[in-house]
Amino acid sequence: MPPNGIIPNGTAEAPIDVSAVPSIVGINFGNSYASIAEGLAECIANEDGERQIACAIAFHGEEMYIGNQAKHQLVKNSQNTITGFRNLLGKKFSEVPQAALSVSAPVIQHPSLPDTAAYKVKVLQPAPSPLPATAANTPAASQVATPRSEPIEAERILTVSEVTTIFLGSLVQSAEDFLGKKVLGAVISVPSWFDDAQREAVIQSAEDAGVHVLQLLDDAGAVTVCDAAGSDEIPSDRTQLIVDLGASSLELSLLSIREGLTYSLASLSDSSVGGDEIDSKLIKFFAKEFTKKTRTPLTVAPASDPIDKRAEAKLRLAVEHTKRTLSASPGAATCSVESLKDGLDYTGSINRLRFDMEVRQIYNKVYAKVKELVASAGIDLYDVDEIVYIGGSACLPGLDETLVEGFTENIITPFKAGTVVGGGSGDPTTILARGCALQAQLLVSLASETEEVRQAFIKGNGTSSVSATGRTIGLLVPQVSAADGGLGGVWVPLILKETPLPCRRTITAEVDVSESGDKVGFEFWEVNEGVRIDHVKPQTFEDEEDEEEEELEEVKEKTISKEAFLASLSLSPSNIIKGKAKVQVQAIIGSNGAVDLSIREVMKDGLGEAVTVIVGSS
Amino acid sequence: MATLVTLPSLPPTWTAPSDSASSISPLVQRRLIPAGAAYLAHVKRTLNNITFEQYDEQ
Ligand SMILES: Nc1ncnc2c1ncn2[C@@H]1O[C@H](COP(=O)(O)OP(=O)(O)OP(=O)(O)O)[C@@H](O)[C@H]1O
Ligand SMILES: [Mg+2]
Repeated sequence: MPPNGIIPNGTAEAPIDVSAVPSIVGINFGNSYASIAEGLAECIANEDGERQIACAIAFHGEEMYIGNQAKHQLVKNSQNTITGFRNLLGKKFSEVPQAALSVSAPVIQHPSLPDTAAYKVKVLQPAPSPLPATAANTPAASQVATPRSEPIEAERILTVSEVTTIFLGSLVQSAEDFLGKKVLGAVISVPSWFDDAQREAVIQSAEDAGVHVLQLLDDAGAVTVCDAAGSDEIPSDRTQLIVDLGASSLELSLLSIREGLTYSLASLSDSSVGGDEIDSKLIKFFAKEFTKKTRTPLTVAPASDPIDKRAEAKLRLAVEHTKRTLSASPGAATCSVESLKDGLDYTGSINRLRFDMEVRQIYNKVYAKVKELVASAGIDLYDVDEIVYIGGSACLPGLDETLVEGFTENIITPFKAGTVVGGGSGDPTTILARGCALQAQLLVSLASETEEVRQAFIKGNGTSSVSATGRTIGLLVPQVSAADGGLGGVWVPLILKETPLPCRRTITAEVDVSESGDKVGFEFWEVNEGVRIDHVKPQTFEDEEDEEEEELEEVKEKTISKEAFLASLSLSPSNIIKGKAKVQVQAIIGSNGAVDLSIREVMKDGLGEAVTVIVGSS
Repeated sequence: MATLVTLPSLPPTWTAPSDSASSISPLVQRRLIPAGAAYLAHVKRTLNNITFEQYDEQ
């Protein structure tokens, strides 16, 4: 990081003068939880030791609570507790969906600002201090000490922006306390469906909190940055599915990742699935157990009786811990609530097997949505190479177990790789904040770049639109004895479809040249890829006399066929060692679609003369 | 990044297919996500109109 670098972009017109090493953070600002990270450091815990900080603000008397403490106010003081504000940012009051007004302080029309959403809460304002006693010769009113006046009950109106400013301000304050230095700027993650007004509102609220926004980064972008910093066992050209299961929504995106360049192939969001729904299933389970144990009726999710409502609020808070235990280990996880109902305490437990049964419907719903998304992109689950999880509810191993069933057995997931637990690189709860923090470092390093380059990181800027390939291109070495059904030789894909241009791919091939006079060469082809689905009878065992109609099993296989012959290249090798020659094959496709193909022999002292061919632009 | 593969040589009887396409299939238009070092490199190459080779030398 350049010590005197200026902040590269965002509101680039007013660069902050950075005199010391700047502290720049990444913020995951969800609708339910937020987290903050700096540099390569992990997520930063707040004063209460929490890394997932609830997006909640509560007013109680003269106190203001922020984060998970505020969430606890939902039990007895929900009218003065504000939650779910992020999704209301940048919306006019008339645009606020009425369904969004649920358990917390109601959203009202601001009394003076036109069409503005606001919250009204009750607070206690400290009374004005009594006038100090004056000089002795003033006629004394009374010898009795003035009684301390009570704080005055007052109403406070806060706009959604003001609430966000308070919240982000406190988040950054915790980080500053931890880091021991001022936070000057941040990269903040936003869902891809946020429109310009919503993005503008996030920036404004953050700036009001004194946080300069370097960039609003789409969630998928934060994942990309984390990935690029990750392992080299993952192929650099791949199709990735991001499953983000938060509290109130499911967000899915399908991405093409090509040597670190990423774009979206399809995305989908569904606010009927999420952690809240998982909570509902779980608290119903515990409420039933409670009734069984105590013979006290308790109806929750939904509850109609005010006492049951309060019990539900308590259970909702308590299962937060239960779910985290279930994600971490398959054994029994407890749920304890003091005075759940009628003064009766409750402690119950559930193991992962049982839990997965209770929430199976939700896992299946996510799976159905995943299929819908992949189909909308015109591809098959078998075309997906990797799944990445975001969001607290995606920590549940049962979800991954359900999803992987539909993919190829080579599918890469953080659960398979073992990177979910213990703050690993695949941890769904920290990935966004870490990605934003890494992106923030990159942006700081842009200080010496041109204005144009820096502007390219702002959404909506023209440089992000790009041409990409429509079909996979590769090389084929035809073989006389090739097996039927294939392409008639050995096939090596070079540039996959959905690769942004310009692009370059290079491979080195070791070629068997046993006979003298053998030529090294390839045909370059464009191919069609697909997935063939066969329905076959499942294997049955002799003694199994199942007269029921047999369900056909789906068997999938990837297919490939020739689309167009592009060119061929060959050379007579001169540097043959133990019957093998080595060549370097390179394909470059320009932004206009022109293909530049070349092979060179790898010689003792470098590369030989290139044999090249050019296929015109499309 | 060069990957290493092992391949056979061309059969002695091989001749290049005669019909070759004049261009690759139509391109598709997409929007890159402005994130990461690879995007930065892409932007620099595009804005300054430099080839991969020139970029490598920088
Ligand atoms: N380890 C865990 N295991 C299971 N569930 C968890 C875990 N950690 C958090 N959760 C749940 O994840 C949800 C919060 O997820 P996340 O932080 O991604 O929310 P968000 O993105 O702010 O939510 P929203 O979907 O409302 O925008 C909550 O329902 C929480 O109970
Ligand atoms: Mg989220």
